[in-house]
Amino acid sequence: MNLPLDRVLLKKYVGQSMLLFCSCAFALFAFAWVRVWVVSLLDMGQFQTILEQFRDFEKFAPIEFDSLFTYPGRTGMTYDEPIVILCVVIWAISRGSDVVSGELGRGTLEMVLSQPISRTRLLCSHAAVSITGLALLCIFVWAGIAAGIYTTSVSETVPTPTIRIPFLEIDVPMALGEPAKQTLALSDRVDVEIYAASTFHLFAFGFFVLALASFLSSIDRYRWRTVGATVAIYIAQLVMFGLGKATESLSYLLSMTFFSCYKPQKMTSMIGKTDSLWSPWSLTQPINETSLPPLYYPLILIGLGMIFYGAAIICFKRRDLPAPL
Amino acid sequence: MNLIKEKNHSVSQIQKKKTIEPILSCENLSKQYGDFHALKDCSVKVFGGDVFGLLGPNGAGKTTLIRLLLGYLHPTHGRATVLGLDAESESVAVRRLVTYLPGDARLPRHMRGDGVLKFFAEMHPLGDLQRSRNVADRLELNTKTRVAFMSTGMRQKLALAVVLGPQTPLLILDEPTANLDPTVRAAVLQCVLEARDEGRTVMLSSHVLSEIEETCNRVAFLRRGRLVHELQMIDLAQRHRMTATTVGDSINVPPELSDRVTVRLNPQTKGNTIVQLDTAGDLKPFLKWIDTLSLSNIRFEPYGLRTVYDSVHSGELVSIGETSE
Repeated sequence: MNLPLDRVLLKKYVGQSMLLFCSCAFALFAFAWVRVWVVSLLDMGQFQTILEQFRDFEKFAPIEFDSLFTYPGRTGMTYDEPIVILCVVIWAISRGSDVVSGELGRGTLEMVLSQPISRTRLLCSHAAVSITGLALLCIFVWAGIAAGIYTTSVSETVPTPTIRIPFLEIDVPMALGEPAKQTLALSDRVDVEIYAASTFHLFAFGFFVLALASFLSSIDRYRWRTVGATVAIYIAQLVMFGLGKATESLSYLLSMTFFSCYKPQKMTSMIGKTDSLWSPWSLTQPINETSLPPLYYPLILIGLGMIFYGAAIICFKRRDLPAPL
Repeated sequence: MNLIKEKNHSVSQIQKKKTIEPILSCENLSKQYGDFHALKDCSVKVFGGDVFGLLGPNGAGKTTLIRLLLGYLHPTHGRATVLGLDAESESVAVRRLVTYLPGDARLPRHMRGDGVLKFFAEMHPLGDLQRSRNVADRLELNTKTRVAFMSTGMRQKLALAVVLGPQTPLLILDEPTANLDPTVRAAVLQCVLEARDEGRTVMLSSHVLSEIEETCNRVAFLRRGRLVHELQMIDLAQRHRMTATTVGDSINVPPELSDRVTVRLNPQTKGNTIVQLDTAGDLKPFLKWIDTLSLSNIRFEPYGLRTVYDSVHSGELVSIGETSE
């Protein structure tokens, strides 16, 4: 199959986006690494005590708190950190909004399209660079986590042997004094591979936002308006997600927001529960009775993104391109 | 001066080059935005070897016509063919055979001048980097500078170097000399004439009447979205306007000259009358007749493009050459 890509355009878009990519990649890699290191600093027992204070707010959390009392669970929280989401969203919106309205605003589309290149080819070349960049950014998050896991050690309290008193059902420690502590590598507790599915979720999430921004860009002529519209939709969806989680009466909103399909931590906890690295990739086994099989969620985001890209190509091909202002 | 000589010299050559099939043809081409007619029922033909000028005030529809020819805009009515290809449905193929300089050419700001030349030379199948570099040298452009740091004139020179690189059969230039100093303007017009001498067809839109006079062999006038007048420059060369003063209040035109002269009498307060004669063709028979009239303060001037332009601009119909309305 002959892909509608143009080598020269690809080179141009790579050059154009290189600075943003390097900045985001560095931020994501460093943050993910540092975040894993921070996880090792917090004593699990203390962390549990802190979290127990917020049990009432558990419904707002992406997963049940109990999953967070494990190293894999706490490390997996990286995928829901605002900095990670922000970097991915910045990449998606800035690249997506650039494709038509950005080039139109700068006036460069006129010269590029004066060359024998179809609008579909232009859009696809831009999308290829943006999507590849997004995939690499997600891999950088994963790589940052891996770097953190392989370079961090954790200190754990060794459980004291106990003896249970019959009839009273009380556990009595068999040793007196300070409990013993042991230091071990985090990689002994956390397997990096369990975050493959979470990374894929992050990619699907970014792809959806990227495609949405590209679609809005293809029908607009001002980049600021494209960015504004994308951010407005993003915030509206986020509010719907929050409201849907907050009250039972508004829970129907959860089925109308794309945030419901972003479940990276759920994937991590699934692996913990099923002891199978492949469980998040299932298209047949639902997460629980009321939900879909886990792979459906990122595929929904990617599917919607493909629809947006398709709509962007159609709109871009049909529209008139105004002269630069 | 050289340009004018060259133009006169080549008029007959151009006539010979003309083929029956037009290079560019529009039939009732219209573009409407709501109630506003940006272009209405425009029918025009450009033949091989023509240097075709487009004249008209701002908002007359010149750029709209060009943008319709290149597929940037979709026509509301009518159709246009360029080199036998449909301008709307085969716009990529059209742009393979046409190079276009937009009225406000903007180039990727992150690139250096030479990078821009390379980028566009690689993009166009007929691109020729060395030729573009030669044009840049001829226009005294430093291609090592980054586009972001170039002045408006430098950017225009760079865009011209991009456009004059590929040897396409048709060259469309929208205000090519805007923002350029007189020396470079002359160099650009020389490039246009060289393109014509190489057998290429040129469509040139400009507000500078002298440039059109120096380079074009055919001119079309647009006003309020309509093509209101079209003329051959060779017809214009044989037109003159004589202004003089007489004491009488009427002038008898000999029957053999009546179809080649227009007389206007403008009585003055002191009993004198200003006489204005617009003549067509050889001046010799007119001079004999004028000698028999009792005229004073006689002044002859060529019937320049300015006169036609003013007439068209003010809505008067001018009886020179072909008229489409």
